[in-house]
Amino acid sequence: MADTMVASGIPAADIDEPPRASSWLRYAATKAGGALVSLIMVVVLGFFAFRILPGDPVRSMADGRRVSAEQMEILRQQLGLDQPLLSQFWRYLTDLVQGNLGFSYTFNEPVAQLIGDRLGPTLLLTGTAAALSVVLGLWLGQRAAWKHGSMFDKVQTGIALTFWSVPTFWLGLLLLLFFAGTLGWFPTGGIVTAGANNEGFAAFLDVLHHLALPALTMTAVVYAQYLLVMRASLLEEMTSDYLTTARAKGLREDKVRRRHAVPNALLPTVTLIFLTLGGLIGGAVTVETVFSWPGLGFLTFQALSAPDFPVLQGTFVVFSAIVILMNFIADLVYRVLDPRLRTA
Amino acid sequence: MNTPDASSTTPRGRKHRGRRFAAALGAVAIGVVGVGSATSTATAADRPNIRVAMVGEIDSLNPFIAILASSTALLAYQYEPLVQFAASDNAVAPGMADSWETSDDAKTWTFKLDPDAKWSDDEPITSEDVVWTIEAIKENDALKQAYGALLENIDTVSAPDDTTVVMELSAPQASNPGVELPIVPEHVWSTIDDPAAYPNDSDTVGSGPFIITKYSKTGGVELKANDNYREGAPKVGGVIYVPFKNSDASVQALKTGEVDIAADLTPAQYKALESVDNITAIAGTGRRYTAIAINPGAMDSAGQPMGDGNPVLQDPIVRQAIVRAIDSSTLLDKVMQGLGDPATAEIPPTYPLYHWNASELPYSFDPAAANKLLDDAGYTKGADGIRVDKSGNPIQLRLMGRSTDPTHQQMVDYIKPWLKDIGIGITSEMKAPAQVNDDSTLGNYDLYFTGWGMGPDPDFQMSINLCSSRPNADGTGATSESNWCSPEFDEMYAKQHAELDQEKRSEYVVEAQKLIYNAAVNNVLYYQKSLQAYRSDRFGDFVRQPEGEGVILGQNGPWGLYSATPIESTTSGGESGGGANPLWWIIGGVVVIGVVTVIVVSRRRGASADNKE
Repeated sequence: MADTMVASGIPAADIDEPPRASSWLRYAATKAGGALVSLIMVVVLGFFAFRILPGDPVRSMADGRRVSAEQMEILRQQLGLDQPLLSQFWRYLTDLVQGNLGFSYTFNEPVAQLIGDRLGPTLLLTGTAAALSVVLGLWLGQRAAWKHGSMFDKVQTGIALTFWSVPTFWLGLLLLLFFAGTLGWFPTGGIVTAGANNEGFAAFLDVLHHLALPALTMTAVVYAQYLLVMRASLLEEMTSDYLTTARAKGLREDKVRRRHAVPNALLPTVTLIFLTLGGLIGGAVTVETVFSWPGLGFLTFQALSAPDFPVLQGTFVVFSAIVILMNFIADLVYRVLDPRLRTA
Repeated sequence: MNTPDASSTTPRGRKHRGRRFAAALGAVAIGVVGVGSATSTATAADRPNIRVAMVGEIDSLNPFIAILASSTALLAYQYEPLVQFAASDNAVAPGMADSWETSDDAKTWTFKLDPDAKWSDDEPITSEDVVWTIEAIKENDALKQAYGALLENIDTVSAPDDTTVVMELSAPQASNPGVELPIVPEHVWSTIDDPAAYPNDSDTVGSGPFIITKYSKTGGVELKANDNYREGAPKVGGVIYVPFKNSDASVQALKTGEVDIAADLTPAQYKALESVDNITAIAGTGRRYTAIAINPGAMDSAGQPMGDGNPVLQDPIVRQAIVRAIDSSTLLDKVMQGLGDPATAEIPPTYPLYHWNASELPYSFDPAAANKLLDDAGYTKGADGIRVDKSGNPIQLRLMGRSTDPTHQQMVDYIKPWLKDIGIGITSEMKAPAQVNDDSTLGNYDLYFTGWGMGPDPDFQMSINLCSSRPNADGTGATSESNWCSPEFDEMYAKQHAELDQEKRSEYVVEAQKLIYNAAVNNVLYYQKSLQAYRSDRFGDFVRQPEGEGVILGQNGPWGLYSATPIESTTSGGESGGGANPLWWIIGGVVVIGVVTVIVVSRRRGASADNKE
């Protein structure tokens, strides 16, 4: 990229043309390489980190039941736990390369299938909550910044910060007690009405009905971060000269905000959104537990108690892969959004 | 909303989108109300289903594989064992087998089946089904997961005719070998290539009162009534297990009528439900004991010392003094809010045949006597009131509990001053359950909170106190209850293990418990009640096990839900599903419409402002 600058002799920021494909590729490849290295670290870490956990999986499977020492030995062999750690690691790696995440100790199922069955509900919940909190956070954030110091600003920022500091499970339980228990507006848990066997549109509405409270809880707890970043970055833009120019052109205040200030203020916010999306999925654990949502979070929680190593490794790899992927996308999106970076 | 893209749309475009948004919201509002009313008529069948709150996961519905409590409880409704446990007192009672005989040496057991019995698909139940089930487990390691150990003593099993099963055991056994094991239909399972991998979650065939028809990982498990059930068709149409991941939510669901019965309540939840209309809360005698284990000097299977238990505890006098210093009735009152039964030894009164029924215990709470024991044994108190052991070190003991169980910390707060009173210092350490398991297996403790839930036959619970049940040095191998070994106990265990006379066997089991008690290695504090509640406006006449004072859910047998009887008058009114009062739906709808109106109006205003520019 530096070559072009020298060759043309024109400052890069002034070039208003699409970026060269080669530079794009190189940028993307560097970032992808970084992501891949992180992923490999995760895979290695995922195996060894969980082996430090206390608890013998075979003993906990035998917990409270009539299981003889011989039978526990058979189980240990079946699960490959009698092998040295390094050969277990080798087996884990070779399986993983073939896309095999292993077989759960507790559930009589391949880990990939266990995760697959629960990934959908988790994505639905976190996706909905993310969309709602992004929309709400950005909208309130820019309004608050524009009228900073006003009652609207103080009230909205105050409310958001209050929700942000409330423990998720506590807020979830309160909403559950009030809206599901006392008022009976919403179901107390799950993703569908058990035994109702709805189909088509009725099933869709049933899911929506179940989704409302958990999505609301997650949204309430996380939207503050978007609000605050949007507010801060818009406040920074508000003193810029180009806004004076826009006003000088005779634009109404509303339009100055929406057409000029907000698009520029969105830059850091969008990056933040992608960076936090991955974390949201991991953060769904408490919400899933409170609202009995059949997602990945609770599966992980349960696997910890055994410990069910293949499930823990599998969910760890999947959670981490999502975070890494989101960071990678954030890198790419930021470059698209910010013209200065295209030529840097 | 104001993304860079949005700023390029025309005011007209935005207006349209506003309308679409409003229309979508409106549709949702109407639809959501629709769901509420649709489900209230759908389940009003002739025989209503009973909805059970299920807190916990299903690991598998394959009876050979399933080990989690939620799964085995559910499968107990689907498959009968040869012999089961009576609703009245947990004594052995006819199951798939009408009757049985035992040879004098307790090695040959002969079972007679009912010639008219049928599976749920109308195929006859024969002795071949029993033989196939047992042989399948014995021949295939993959099928041993759930019941392998139960069958280890069965040498051969045969079917001389369609209604007779003969088991030859390798060693005498007094406990009935026909209990617990679910018998599966040979005509279904013998055609499956890999029975261990068979999910068994739809189109199933069983012999019990209910048959699994559907399992969805997101929507629970559905069972329908089996009209061929030996004791007659159930009075309800089926059972629906509604999955929950925390018991607070299941309590709310019981209140709103989304479920009809819930178990595993906390004392606080139970107390709160007691006063709720249309709900009956029951405190059934439990199958669990809660205890403090005292490390007697743990040894591994080879007789080598293991772990880091304080050596002073190897003196039985010190252990007995600790037992005398702990007021378990206060713990029961304060920590469990009285929702438990005072304890003697391991086996709770829910199993009257084997419970040690004693009003006065040798080491009952008596701090003065405890102090005297220690004084007489030469453990003198230091200046700080803490006694010193034989090597001159102050007696400071660690008390380990599980961080996930709040009652452990509560009990520590009482126990610390009690032990201080007899000159023993206590430091408490709350750890993750898995860590507690590791530490207790390896003998790395002085005192720790423990507990076991047990089935009606005491053989297994007693067997984990045998010298041969001590683990290997690395913690693998057998399971020991208290890392204790006594030849005297081993002898008593062997006597009860082969005693066919019920009265004598009961006596031996009580004697065995007394030996554990006197060694003061496992101070049983109380038997907690099993707290459950059900919608008495919808179902009644539940049979409890044991009769009148026991549980409905979590029985050793299918009696609880099998006996559920719908209450006719209200079945149409209190139907579950949405569970909401229609008035609230209307208010909710009005709120949604109000919000939509505000949005539409504000968008119109914004749009017209743009038009003016």
